[in-house]
Amino acid sequence: MAETTFGNATQVLEPFRGIKKVTLEEYFTSGHRTCQGCESALVMKLMVKAAGPRTIVLGSTGCMYVANTTYYTTPWVVPWMHTQLGSSGSAALGTAAGLKALMRKGKMKAEPINVIAFCGDGGGADMGLGAISATLTHKEYNSLILLYDNESYANTDIQLSGMTPYGAHTTFSPPGKVHRLIHKRWKKNVAGLMAAGHPECRYVATVCASYAVEMMNKVRRALTIGGPTFIHSLDPCPKGWDYDPMLSHELGELAIETGIFPLYEVEDGVVKYYGKTKAIVEGRPRKPVRDYLLKQGRFAHFTEEDLSYFQEKVDQQWEQWEIPGVVPFRKLDAAQAALNVK
Amino acid sequence: MATVTTTKAASEDKELLISGSEAVAESLTLADIDVVTAYPIRPYDTVMQAIAKKIANGQLVAEYIVAEGEHSQFEIVKHASTVGARVFCGSSGVGWMYAMECLVVTPPLRVPMVCLVGNRALDDPGAFGVEHNDALVVRDLGWMLCWIDTSQEALDTTLIAYRVAEDRRIFLPLAISADGAFLTHSQAITMVPPKEKVDRFLPRYDRGDLLLHPDNPITVAPQANEDWVIEIRRQNDEAMKRAVGVIEEAYADFRRIFGRGPENPWFEEYMADDAEVILIGMGTISLPIKVAIREMRAKGKKVGLIRLRWFRPFPFERLVKALSGAKAIGVIDRDYSFGSPFHSGVVANEIRASLYNAAKRPPLLSFICGLGGREVTLEDVNKAVDMCEAAAKSGKSDAKTHWLGVRE
Amino acid sequence: MSALICEVVYRGIFQKNLAARIVRGIVLSARKSERWGIAFGRYGDSPQRNGIPAKDFAIVADTKEELEQNMARYEPKHVDVTICVDDTLSKGVESWAWYGLQPINRLTVPNGTVLMTSLQPFDALLKDIHKKDAPYKLSLIRAKASFSGLWVYKEDHTEVRILGALAKIAPSFLTLDAVAEAIKEMEWGSELKVASARKAFDRLETRAVKITEGNPDVPYAFEMPKWWEMREGVTIPAIPIGKPKEGGQGYVPERNPYFKKFSTRTMRPVIDFDTCVKCNLCWIACPDSVFDVMPDGTFDANMEACCGCGVCEAVCPVEDCITMVNESAFDDNASQWEAWRKDKAGYKTWLGAKIGDKKTTVRSHGFRFRGQYDEEIKHDLDSGGVEITAGIPGENADRKTV
Repeated sequence: MAETTFGNATQVLEPFRGIKKVTLEEYFTSGHRTCQGCESALVMKLMVKAAGPRTIVLGSTGCMYVANTTYYTTPWVVPWMHTQLGSSGSAALGTAAGLKALMRKGKMKAEPINVIAFCGDGGGADMGLGAISATLTHKEYNSLILLYDNESYANTDIQLSGMTPYGAHTTFSPPGKVHRLIHKRWKKNVAGLMAAGHPECRYVATVCASYAVEMMNKVRRALTIGGPTFIHSLDPCPKGWDYDPMLSHELGELAIETGIFPLYEVEDGVVKYYGKTKAIVEGRPRKPVRDYLLKQGRFAHFTEEDLSYFQEKVDQQWEQWEIPGVVPFRKLDAAQAALNVK
Repeated sequence: MATVTTTKAASEDKELLISGSEAVAESLTLADIDVVTAYPIRPYDTVMQAIAKKIANGQLVAEYIVAEGEHSQFEIVKHASTVGARVFCGSSGVGWMYAMECLVVTPPLRVPMVCLVGNRALDDPGAFGVEHNDALVVRDLGWMLCWIDTSQEALDTTLIAYRVAEDRRIFLPLAISADGAFLTHSQAITMVPPKEKVDRFLPRYDRGDLLLHPDNPITVAPQANEDWVIEIRRQNDEAMKRAVGVIEEAYADFRRIFGRGPENPWFEEYMADDAEVILIGMGTISLPIKVAIREMRAKGKKVGLIRLRWFRPFPFERLVKALSGAKAIGVIDRDYSFGSPFHSGVVANEIRASLYNAAKRPPLLSFICGLGGREVTLEDVNKAVDMCEAAAKSGKSDAKTHWLGVRE
Repeated sequence: MSALICEVVYRGIFQKNLAARIVRGIVLSARKSERWGIAFGRYGDSPQRNGIPAKDFAIVADTKEELEQNMARYEPKHVDVTICVDDTLSKGVESWAWYGLQPINRLTVPNGTVLMTSLQPFDALLKDIHKKDAPYKLSLIRAKASFSGLWVYKEDHTEVRILGALAKIAPSFLTLDAVAEAIKEMEWGSELKVASARKAFDRLETRAVKITEGNPDVPYAFEMPKWWEMREGVTIPAIPIGKPKEGGQGYVPERNPYFKKFSTRTMRPVIDFDTCVKCNLCWIACPDSVFDVMPDGTFDANMEACCGCGVCEAVCPVEDCITMVNESAFDDNASQWEAWRKDKAGYKTWLGAKIGDKKTTVRSHGFRFRGQYDEEIKHDLDSGGVEITAGIPGENADRKTV
């Protein structure tokens, strides 16, 4: 069959110029069985509010599948489909490829349809990392992969994942009489990994729903820029982190103000910092990590030693990395760098 | 060579000397598939190489994606199918197993993906030769399964597969199994029909009310708990039952439009009408068996073969009829089912179950042969027939499973 | 009775560990009288979510055969004692989609007991608890609801007080001495806790409830479709897009009709539309899309959808504009904005009364800092009154009025 004139265009989604300009329509509505104060549910709401009605969402197994969509009901207004735990990358790719094939062969009306696939930290950093990586190399297919990170396998009642912070209490890492800390791995830097490893992926960003307008604008940018894109969202989780649900918003802000979670985007290789993170890069002091950690029951067993270690690692991110907060390559000594060039 | 009851080949057909893989690629071009995903594993992947050539040369327009593993490979086409794309995929052996998570969900999701399984031993122990356990592993899940034998059958069955799988009454995934060696190494004269005929036979894939698209807002697969799952399974049960009629319809239509094809879609009967001993098998095991049968017939022995094409849905009613005149049945499994009743093969136990309520229940002998690509020799077949003849005389079978061709 | 079947109805996650201690405590106490028992959570509630009602069960029987009759079931068909550890659950429980709102006394057998922790008077509770078509007993332990989380537990003695009360309710299965013995053997047991249990036994208040008493509302229910009525492919229609509120202005989202979530609330936001500066923050920060946008730019929290997380109060920049108030202070899910629009002065008075009551605005649940629970318990103990839940609970009860 001959190819029709098909441009593979994306939608042009302009950034919201302030909270009052945010559209009123909800494409993810109430009636989901999520925890009180679930920031991941908020991410879902903001994600599709930003994307608009001409969107297809693929959701891999996790809280945002099981809690949200309990059969025979749904809170989704836009088309949504479940996919396997490690399949967010494949789902994005397959959906985008299917639409493209049909449109370019004239079997379906050609129009830019947003394809968004989401995964949790378990489905993204652990099981599905390979598939996401593959999708980010396919610049001919437009999609957004959004990783919502509540720092555990939350849906299975809280087990540690590759993105669980050092020392956190989970059912796989309970503080015990002989071993206080079972989980001593440092959190995997997935956004940095995606940005560094896929030179043709045009957009990688980190977001937090506590900064809602910024988050939605980054989603819009990812959907507009074209090709496969990736966003990592940090989501405070009252169940897994053990805190009063009304603190969800505040904890998101604290994660950024302590420098634990950086807000940035990498667009065509250019790093840009946002909000309080930008201020930190420009020299503003970070709040001590204990201000954030000790508000959460999952760190209630931390000793001063643990807190110091945590602080030290976070300090390194900002004081020793060549691109602070983004990739753990040490700063080059300027003189050494000059020598290497010769 | 498959015996097909035809008149003469339609004159507009093209005659090509091609392998099974190439025949499938011809079919996919005629079917105008939209999305195909590839990942290398022998022996199925020659089909993906053939498709790549078709695309590169502009004969087929489709998205061709090389995945980074079989799990992704199958998930990608699963999702492409939900937005209405006609898809093709395939694998062999442990590759098929790596995709298992996807294979279990496509039946309840009612995704009509058509796949080629190049049957290959599961390894470790590390063989590339033919065994049927890879495809058989999905037999309970709602996949339709069939076995093909020749390039012509490969081409024809692929077209029929899309017609059946994509029928809205069915919408179940379908795996076409092909023994490795024939896929890659045998090239045979194959009639390739013109597009015009194919278009009359194969309608466009229309996902209807299940289409994932902003114009049809749906939620697909919210998480079901114990209040809903058995009802969902019951729906699959009904779809598989309907598949029987749809398959027969499809073959009848195929004969009408293409002027060839078997009258009985379910199995090929080779000299089985008056046979006293009937051997049953799937795939290219039929070739040495047919040679042996001809020799025995020359000696006056009444032996016949039933080569099963369709394994799911399993044609138990027709088989029972076809077997009712036999004095003994010998089932030759190119698979294993350790610990099963009688420590038998998969096909043998399915045939036993089919016969349980039949008025006529000839003695049944179970043989396991040809695993891991080991040749099934004339000697093996003769041994099997001898044992069946003894059972025919005594009217009893020993209910043991006999392993043929093992060094012991 | 040859078997005693108990259910614990509780707030998921916040009271998960409490419920587990209770049901295990029941089985281990009954063991002292040589009885067999099992303790289990309802499988369908898992994974639990903060606030979403859940159930655990304890079944003890005289013989193993009687016990087996009750095993391999998700949920008993009837229970002898319904233990409810948060009195806002008396308004009914919606645990899962398509289950509708289920009265707290739904499974309780005729003449069985609903045992609740509450500070409310009986009559107030019976305005919320739905009418039952059989008489039953309502027993109260004077205490506020005990909330913790997954990792840090609040040792306020609630679990032992429940066990002590049960010894009064079902003495042929659990004697007070057996309960005391079992508590002492627990990892979390102590002499002080045994004393609490004994006090609860003494202080338990019980009242018979007639079939004419209770909330007359008929709780909503759904009928599940048959297999051939369900669309194939595990597929259902999406929720339709929402609409403007009035005259093309504002916005009201469509909502999931089969799971409303309001029974998850222990507190609800009360909004002062007069002081609202229309910053949009509550609307945007709500994970449950609760806020209907009004034509005047203010926001009405839809009480059918609100699950009471409190993020709106946390983000609202105007003092006392949004205040979380205990759910027991309300009788229905009526729209606050409509009430305000109808009678602004009257609404202001109502608002003042609701948010002015320190008892109902104290935060009910969640971890905020290390040592918080101990501080809370100490504060309760020192300030005296019925809210004491630790030490020797109830000692100072005569010094305070509810």
